[in-house]
Amino acid sequence: MLQKIYDWIDERIDITPIWRDIADHEVPEHVNPAHHFSAFVYCFGGLTFFVVVIQILSGMFLTMYYVPDIENAWRSVYYLQTEVAHGQIVRGMHHWGASVVIVMLLLHTLRVFFQGAYKKPRELNWIVGVLLFFTILGLGFTGYLLPWDNKAYFATEVGLNIAQDVPIIGDEIKTLLSGDEEIVGAQTLARFFAIHVFFLPAGLFALLGVHFILIRRQGISGPL
Amino acid sequence: MSEGKQPVSRRQFLNYTLTGVGGFMAAGLMVSPLRMAIDPVLQESSAAGDFTNVKLAVEDITDEPQRVDWEIEQVDGWYESKVGKSAWVYKDENGDIVALSPICKHLGCVVSWEGSDDHPDKFYCPCHDGLYYKDGMNVPGTPPTAGLDIYEHKVENGMLFLGKAQPREEA
Amino acid sequence: MHKGKGMKFVGDSRISSERKSNIPKDYSEYPGRTEAFWPNFLLKEWLAGSVFLVGFLSMTLAHPAPLEKMADPTAAGYIPLPDWYFLFLYELLKYDFASGPYILFGIIIIPGLAFGGLLLAPFLDNGPGRRPHQRPIAVGMMLLALTSTIWLTYKSASHVDWEQRADANKPVPPSEEVQIDKESEGYALYENNCMSCHGEDMGGTAGPALIGIDYSADEIATIAKEGIGSMPPGQFSGSDEELQKLADFIVSVNEQ
Repeated sequence: MLQKIYDWIDERIDITPIWRDIADHEVPEHVNPAHHFSAFVYCFGGLTFFVVVIQILSGMFLTMYYVPDIENAWRSVYYLQTEVAHGQIVRGMHHWGASVVIVMLLLHTLRVFFQGAYKKPRELNWIVGVLLFFTILGLGFTGYLLPWDNKAYFATEVGLNIAQDVPIIGDEIKTLLSGDEEIVGAQTLARFFAIHVFFLPAGLFALLGVHFILIRRQGISGPL
Repeated sequence: MSEGKQPVSRRQFLNYTLTGVGGFMAAGLMVSPLRMAIDPVLQESSAAGDFTNVKLAVEDITDEPQRVDWEIEQVDGWYESKVGKSAWVYKDENGDIVALSPICKHLGCVVSWEGSDDHPDKFYCPCHDGLYYKDGMNVPGTPPTAGLDIYEHKVENGMLFLGKAQPREEA
Repeated sequence: MHKGKGMKFVGDSRISSERKSNIPKDYSEYPGRTEAFWPNFLLKEWLAGSVFLVGFLSMTLAHPAPLEKMADPTAAGYIPLPDWYFLFLYELLKYDFASGPYILFGIIIIPGLAFGGLLLAPFLDNGPGRRPHQRPIAVGMMLLALTSTIWLTYKSASHVDWEQRADANKPVPPSEEVQIDKESEGYALYENNCMSCHGEDMGGTAGPALIGIDYSADEIATIAKEGIGSMPPGQFSGSDEELQKLADFIVSVNEQ
């Protein structure tokens, strides 16, 4: 039955080459922990991606309850934590995932660095990777404000004041981020929400796409 | 090795296991978010027993429908607010209190007693000229297809208390 | 597969009518013990991923995500702390060479050099050797950056009493927030005599919060007249009758 459906679709849009192209590639012996246990260091990249998937899924569901409004943001998070079944777990997944993704990202970066895997011809992929690192730090920074509790508010205030100390354009950067020259409030929250939920994830998807395409084109770096 | 003889069955086995493990991961990931998402469906609907004093003394109720407005505390998730409600209240021939919801059963506009000069002794809905008799039943031939909802009511210390508006049983 | 002349299509589409076989490539002739990504290696990856997921979910269940009190820009004495992965930057700015007149060092030059170096690592470390001992400078710099980051994070985190911090910032359910009757006579007196230090909502600014205190009306009246701790005497100006009303008002708010 499934085979018939597959054949029906394949006859019309010829999907076999597309997905075989994604599925078919070789995994060399030196990255396979089944053969050399020390190859588990090659897992960190994949685990980073896995946690990113967890973040995307849990984040999508969290927006069903969350409102980016200073009157109601905290209340909605509190309601989610205390009244909604499994709400605390989903928020927990997103909260801890944010930390775990940074740990995994760090380990992945260190693996690539100490193996010298960024050397020619893989310079571009390293740069894309560092940009991904910045994007994820940005997601962490903007996501921190959203629950609108004291920790969120004051940490963001500190972050914005640091931005303000940048020479020449400092004030403009701060105003751009917080939406107002002085107040960290309603406009800041709306902006951070938009950046956290739309702008940075869009950049993340694009960079991830490039990262994966480059890995497939160049293949994984050889053994040391 | 058996792979040479039966390559298909080995690959199928791997594919089935892969599907199983993938399903396990997907389930582990999605159980909590899905449970959270469907939570409103599984919430028990709040009991109908909340009656509010509408600040109308029973003795002031006449056989002429009069509009009463009151406010209830509405808890909408994390948002608590006061919401205005209104009803048309009168005593019928037997002296029983009738409290009708003003929400038109056609498309949800608000009806009013003798809201049109052309239709005395009737509830009139200005949106599509819907009409109801005094007992709240819809006038045949006008847009509404059912009678106005009736509020549950009780009397305490000579004051009128109203509860939830209930749709009338289909005759 | 046919190319050029003689190609057959499905209907008038551009889909070739010849089906490509859905059999994975054979990697048995590749060097070493190379195996196919799909399904052989992916299965192992997903098994590892499942173990990881179980661990992750257990951690999530064991430690609910923290939530503090609703943001209050006037909260006195709140020490802001960023999330742990920004602690090293936060700690860096405490040093003399990275703050005050040298703030540019702390926010632009040091992080700029570190992250810029990270971004451009392939061009700075462009020799052919990949083994760590073949590129001592790059590896040395990375180890230096890594240890200083860990050191800064540790320094920043070590003098924070995390449990005390979590206890002091427990969230207050919205329904249990104290209602202050701002129309009352007592509040008018409070506004004139106490509000400048104890805040509009009695949550405290220069002085401490007046909510959750354990004093009787008489004691409050005495404190208002004679002061306590760093609060100077003579803060209250008015009749004794008004003083009594004020004290009763503060007690009534605390009784809720």
